[in-house]
Formats: sequence, structure tokens, C-alpha cells
Amino acid sequence: MDNEDSITKLLRLKRYEQPPEEYFQNFLTEFQTRQRSEVIHRPLMHIAWDRFSSLFVMPPIPKLAMASSVLAAVFTTAFILNWSDDVEPSSLTLTSSGAVQLDSKNQTSPSKVGSTVHYVLPASPVSYASARSF
Amino acid sequence: MEMPETPDEELVRRTQAGDAQAFDALILRFSPRLYGLVYHMTSSHEDTNDLLQDIFSKAYRSIKGFQGKSSFYTWMHTIAVNMTINFLKKRNRRKTMSLDDADNGILNNQDFIEATSSGDPSREANLSELQKRLNESMLKLSHDHRAVVTMFDIQGMPHAEISKVLKISEGTVRSRLFYAHRQLQNYLQEFIDK
Repeated sequence: MDNEDSITKLLRLKRYEQPPEEYFQNFLTEFQTRQRSEVIHRPLMHIAWDRFSSLFVMPPIPKLAMASSVLAAVFTTAFILNWSDDVEPSSLTLTSSGAVQLDSKNQTSPSKVGSTVHYVLPASPVSYASARSF
Repeated sequence: MEMPETPDEELVRRTQAGDAQAFDALILRFSPRLYGLVYHMTSSHEDTNDLLQDIFSKAYRSIKGFQGKSSFYTWMHTIAVNMTINFLKKRNRRKTMSLDDADNGILNNQDFIEATSSGDPSREANLSELQKRLNESMLKLSHDHRAVVTMFDIQGMPHAEISKVLKISEGTVRSRLFYAHRQLQNYLQEFIDK
């Protein structure tokens, strides 16, 4: 243990290896000069990157508010997707008279419940033959 | 009457708000201590000067991310130790370190002479040899051991503070110190016996 103390005492002598006082004032001046020159000689890539990343800087939002907004956004999206699935026109049928009928049980609008939608189609089928053919 | 010193936290807050002069005050406050830390790990004034510039540049760039979870003092020490160890790893690959870089001014330092003066003329005559051997011994330690010895033995930091800076347990700090001291005892035996 005595040896340990002697080692510590010897090493503490190294505390005196300090530069003179004025060194630290000069150090500050050198630091400021270097900093300015860094700003002037900054690579273009760094400047471009800084500008790009500043586009994504978000204002400080409390974590709870952030989490609840994300949850609200997820629920809204899920609701919208569900709702649009319900009105898919999967139940359109073509009647023999040439009318297209919408199955009433799939209608979502209460005002249209029970009504039949008729789409008027030409009685004779359209000919794809050229009108100029003989 | 002396004006009370502005607390570190206040200077940090002002720097974060864009006040460059507040950071200048932090540099003047911390550079002597950080100089000692880096110098005792590198044993070169030139390298210390360059490294210290880089350390403060890095601190200035990252200060907005400093949240005050640790003290600014600990935060600065962590940056300094990590950057110095990285530098030493690179320098080891170059192996160009010369002990000529070691401080010679210390031999004219009155405090040092008084501290080493024990009334034994042979010891006083060996100041130069002692300084050389101290620096050589430090350079023989691993980077991790050198960092712990510098902070504990030379700078007088407590174990708890060192463990925060190095992000290791206090037990690891003590164990590194134990092995480093054992190694140093071998190198410096002749000065301990005297």
C-alpha cells in the first residue's frame, strides 16, 4: 500500500506540466480563427446536407401528444379504408331487359333503400362493324 | 469583491441559444483541465494543442444535443477521453512518437522543484531523469489504463466521476488502477525506494 501511495505522489508531480497562463488566451483566439475558417471553407456537400436535414427538423412536441396524434391518424386511416370497402359495387346485376340493377341489401345510403337503379342501355347491341362496310 | 462565477449550466444554456461568447467562457474555464488530461495521455504538447481544438469544435457542434443528464464537466471529459484514445490508436499505428516532445519547462517550474525537494541532493539532481521516466512509464500503459491513471492520480478525480466519464463501473475503475499501479511500480522502482 505504501508503494501505491508513493506511485500516486510521483504521478501527482506531473500536474506541474502545464503551459504558461497566456497559452490559454491564445488557444481561444486560435479556436475562433479556426472556427471561422471552417465556416468559410466548408465542403459543399456538408452545406447541402445541412440544408436538406433542416427540412425535416420537427418542432419540439411532447412525446404523449406525438403518440396520440399518431394513434388518431392510424384509427382514421383504418376507418376510411373500412368504409370504402363497404360500398364496393360488387352487387350490380344486368337484367334481361338490359337494365343494370343494384342489390338493395348492399346499399349504404338510407334514402335509396328499396329503390332500383336503372341504367338505360340501347335495345340493339352496338355493332363494332365499320359503318362504311358493304 | 469578486463577482460570482456564472454556473456552467447557464453558460451551456446560453451557448445552446446561440451565444458564442458563452462558449468562449466555457473554453477558458475548461481548457487548463482538459489540457492536462490530453497532455498526460499523449505526452506531446503539439498533439495536445491540435486535439484540444478538435475536442472543443466537436463539443460546440454537439452542444445542442447536450440534455444535462450528466454535468457539463463530465460530458466534456467523456468527449476528450474518447477522442484522445481514438487519436492514440491511430498514432500507435504510425509509431512516430518521440519523447523529445515531452515537457522541458517543468524543470524550471518553481512549484515542481519545491514539490520534489526533499533535502536529498541526489534526488533533486535527478529531476530530469524522473520526469523522463514518468513519461516513459505512462506511455507503456495501455490507453485505458493511462486514462484512469491520468484522471485519478494526476488530476485527482474521484472513482465515481471517472466511472461516469468512461461509462464503466467503479469496480472496473479500481481494478484498472490496481493493475496500472503495479506496472508503474516496476518501471519506477528506483524512485520509490529512494
